[in-house]
Amino acid sequence: MKGMDLFEQLGYYFTHNGLYILSQFNRTFLIAIYGVIFAAIIGIPVGIWTARHRKMSPAVIGLANVIQTIPSLAMLSILMLGLGLGVNTVITTVFLYALLPIIKNTYTGMTNVDPDVLDSGTGMGMTSWQLLYMVELPLSMSVIMAGIRNALVLGIGITAIGSFVGAGGLGDIIIRGSNATNGGAIILAGALPTALMAIIADMVLAFFEKKLDPVKRKTA
Amino acid sequence: MKILKSLFKLLVLPLSLLLILSGCGFPGLGGNEKQTIKVASMSTTEQQIMAYMMKGLIEHDSNLKVEIINNLGSAAVTLNAMKRGDADISAIRYNGTDLTTVLGNNAEKDPAVVTKKVEQEFNDRYQMHYFKNYGFADTYAFMVTQEYAKKHNLKTVSDLKKIAPKMTVGIDQIWMNRKGDGYPGFKEQYNISFGKVYPMQIGLVYDALQAGKMDAVLGYSTDGRIGSYDLKILKDDKQFFPPYDASPVATNAILKKHPELRPIIQRMVGKISLKTMQRLNYEVDDGLAEPQAVANEYLKQHNYFEGSDK
Repeated sequence: MKGMDLFEQLGYYFTHNGLYILSQFNRTFLIAIYGVIFAAIIGIPVGIWTARHRKMSPAVIGLANVIQTIPSLAMLSILMLGLGLGVNTVITTVFLYALLPIIKNTYTGMTNVDPDVLDSGTGMGMTSWQLLYMVELPLSMSVIMAGIRNALVLGIGITAIGSFVGAGGLGDIIIRGSNATNGGAIILAGALPTALMAIIADMVLAFFEKKLDPVKRKTA
Repeated sequence: MKILKSLFKLLVLPLSLLLILSGCGFPGLGGNEKQTIKVASMSTTEQQIMAYMMKGLIEHDSNLKVEIINNLGSAAVTLNAMKRGDADISAIRYNGTDLTTVLGNNAEKDPAVVTKKVEQEFNDRYQMHYFKNYGFADTYAFMVTQEYAKKHNLKTVSDLKKIAPKMTVGIDQIWMNRKGDGYPGFKEQYNISFGKVYPMQIGLVYDALQAGKMDAVLGYSTDGRIGSYDLKILKDDKQFFPPYDASPVATNAILKKHPELRPIIQRMVGKISLKTMQRLNYEVDDGLAEPQAVANEYLKQHNYFEGSDK
């Protein structure tokens, strides 16, 4: 493709491979979202539990921290030994990395609830379940949401690397671009949608985070 | 103690979930669904085109879904993926490579012998079916630019001998340490040792040569850029590089489980000539087309190879 500048090439690439990019976009998004959903299913209860047993918080958060320090490519390779190639390995990796922000934020959100509010709840005769879902969770929801938002943005980044274990997704396009002659446009065609996805995910979740903020909700 | 117990309970859940995760399919991602065939492909353009062609053909002719396990590093990795059950089909295996690096035999010059040996051994050792050749063979070839060839009067690989110590050469990173038909064997047979050798990602060697960063490179003979850059291939006058016929390989287990697969894959045999492969490679490497698009286009043009069953 001589005689075209980078942006013309990019335009050409998008018009000729649009469906392919769309399907890889979907794939990347699904992988990231599955990992984060599983992490939320596990991470939120763990965070609540840790907030109830504060003595254990250094251990739990420390463990999640340790997971976070492993470089993502190393984590993918380690998991590959056990889970084999393909999409499940990447989902599990995203899951593991998403745990820390979700657990940490749940813990922080729960422990930041004003003890006076909890006291008045107990005074009204609430059981600990009622306290949890009527007082603590609503008050900490926006902080938990911020954790999920962090996790999802992180997850999208990891999914792009996941192409190295055969999971497909936008990372495939980036890798191919690095192999092709004058692959600059192809690399961009893979990298821009990835970045766009992260930015949009971040914005959408930021919106929800604001909606769930109890202080702002009251004034609205 | 109580805390530890409840912590234990808490950890059981994520661990069991991990186990479940590893074994299930996800909506929208294929995964481990029963009707999904997994095709392993390496990161080279040729492999990806053939993988997508296989996907297109199988999905067109049967109810099976195909998932591509892409970007695998080498022939050994794809074989392991098949052995473990991570993949059912290898899009392309090169029989010359398999003979020396995978099966550990000595390089063999006669293509017929190679084919027979590899088919037999794959069946006996790994329970895999080695199909017949797609119709093209890929081999390693030393190439230089036309000017460089003229300047040093190069026609064959042996001609490199005089200038070799001063040369900068880019090679496929897998070739560097491989047994039999790798660099060590090459040094022995040709008695040529290059001044500086750079192991590179195979897709980059052609550009490096064209840009004047390398004096000579070792590339794949099927690459479309040989034609577009007008590179000069040096004749392998001592016949060092064995034939690498390209064939699809499938596990016996998957062929048994889905009997409709065998005739479909069989239909691709002999359909892709060297010229065709070069052209398809070129469209992807230089034409900003995705392997998937190129493969589907080709299938459509040829009516999914219909009416050509043997």
